[in-house]
Amino acid sequence: MKLNFKLLNGSSAMSNVDSEFPRESTVAPQLRWRELWLKEDWWAIWLGLGIILVAYLFFANGSSIKWLAVTPSKWSTLAQLGAHFSANFARYIAQFVVWLAVFTVALTALGYKVREFIPSFALLYILSVLIIALGQWDKASTYNLEPPLVALVVGLLLSNVVGLPRWLDTGFRVEFYIKTGIVLLGATLPFTLIIWAGPVAILQASIISIVTFQVIYWVGLRIGLDRRLCATLGAGGAVCGVSAAIAIAGAVGAKKDAAPIAITVVIVWAIAMIFVLPFVAAAFHLHAGVGGAWIGTSEFADAAGFAAAQTYGNLASHGTVAGTSDQAVFAYTLMKVVGRDVWIGIWAFILAIIATTQWERTETGRKPEAAEIWWRFPKFIIGFLVASLIVTLVTTGYSLGDYNHSVVPALVGPIKDMRTWAFIFCFLSIGLTTRFGELARAGRKPFLAFSAGAIVNVIIGFILSAIVFATHWETLAR
Amino acid sequence: MESKSCPARCAGCVHFRNDAAYLERYFRGLNSLSSAHGSVRGDDGICLRHDRYLSARASCSEFRSRNRL
Repeated sequence: MKLNFKLLNGSSAMSNVDSEFPRESTVAPQLRWRELWLKEDWWAIWLGLGIILVAYLFFANGSSIKWLAVTPSKWSTLAQLGAHFSANFARYIAQFVVWLAVFTVALTALGYKVREFIPSFALLYILSVLIIALGQWDKASTYNLEPPLVALVVGLLLSNVVGLPRWLDTGFRVEFYIKTGIVLLGATLPFTLIIWAGPVAILQASIISIVTFQVIYWVGLRIGLDRRLCATLGAGGAVCGVSAAIAIAGAVGAKKDAAPIAITVVIVWAIAMIFVLPFVAAAFHLHAGVGGAWIGTSEFADAAGFAAAQTYGNLASHGTVAGTSDQAVFAYTLMKVVGRDVWIGIWAFILAIIATTQWERTETGRKPEAAEIWWRFPKFIIGFLVASLIVTLVTTGYSLGDYNHSVVPALVGPIKDMRTWAFIFCFLSIGLTTRFGELARAGRKPFLAFSAGAIVNVIIGFILSAIVFATHWETLAR
Repeated sequence: MESKSCPARCAGCVHFRNDAAYLERYFRGLNSLSSAHGSVRGDDGICLRHDRYLSARASCSEFRSRNRL
């Protein structure tokens, strides 16, 4: 694949984009309470908690949503696979209709066109069925056909080699799918585990985030980059990838070219790490929990990290590494979501203060407001925590035997299967929306500064995950 | 700097662009590993006058109200 970082000239790109949008449609309405239906974080909460609530109502009435939460089963011959689809065709159709309906409601509220979303999501769903089915082949692990990696490669090939019309992006909503999946994941993660393991995750993630930010910022300044670009790059490497980069770019009032530069650098690094981290962790024979924690500190974007963590969890399922798939995903989630993502508002607030009081005075500016911590808080984390709390509370009265015998197959298992679908939609969408030829040119210096931080991040993350806190992560959810 | 002589904020300025679809179109690759619809973006947008990406709550002396158009 040719990595052609074509220059997207700022002014010409702007004029091209401006010509596509009527002036009156280029400003979003003020948020306030409207955030509840104008931001995808909240829609991920409504959808995720809605699915969990429906699953619980079925469970409480002696039934289950497992009929709807169908996934391809293990197979060794195409005849077996064909028989599965033949026997469960109605279930797949029903599931497709449900996903389509709930996503259509959400994306329509966010301003997308239904006529574009339906064919786009249909393509995404069909590809997802095929990729999950391939992952269930009994020889899949022999050829490293892990669904997250296959989804990513298929998506990248379709978008970069075959080429897809841009309007199809309407259904390839990476962040929306991963946030919905994370809320669903909360239902499978005991709240007590979050309380027990959260503080260590926060400690470890904080050490690494602060060091990584400082390295990127310091190296960037040393090689002559603008302070605001350094901060944007630093947040991208230290906190939560592209999302952190644009949050900080806005908070410090960066030049408009800073965000595209950070986006390019983060995408290149994050996608490379999806393929590298699981196999390096396996080469070091890291326990699934340790590998998940390391990926949680070393990946830059939530979606990319989940692809890597899920891949490593699958290696554990196949017996390639010690531990369980859940341990890899849980450790990753605690490290990335609880340990790093929650702090983005505080990073933004602090850097906004520094930008307006210490750095050069600019043409535009504002007084930093503490409320920014809440405005920028990744709200889907609330859904993740609430989901965990709900399922933990409703299953408190069950013995371990009853939990495994009745709660897992009828409640937690189907929710986990729905999560699998949300994640695969996300992994495919990463590839389908990443067009390397369209990314802005990052330039050598920003790439150098970011890479310095990324390397330090990977090394410190390994030391803390695999040595200092190794026992903690190995015993997670045992 | 929140100028007292110019209380109007970028959100109401003719030079400001912060629609999510617009930003995703301008910041190519933004929707690949993130989104303009996420909470972390808040209501930030692009100022065409100063070529900066900043908060809708920012302000400056070159504010021009959209309502005057």
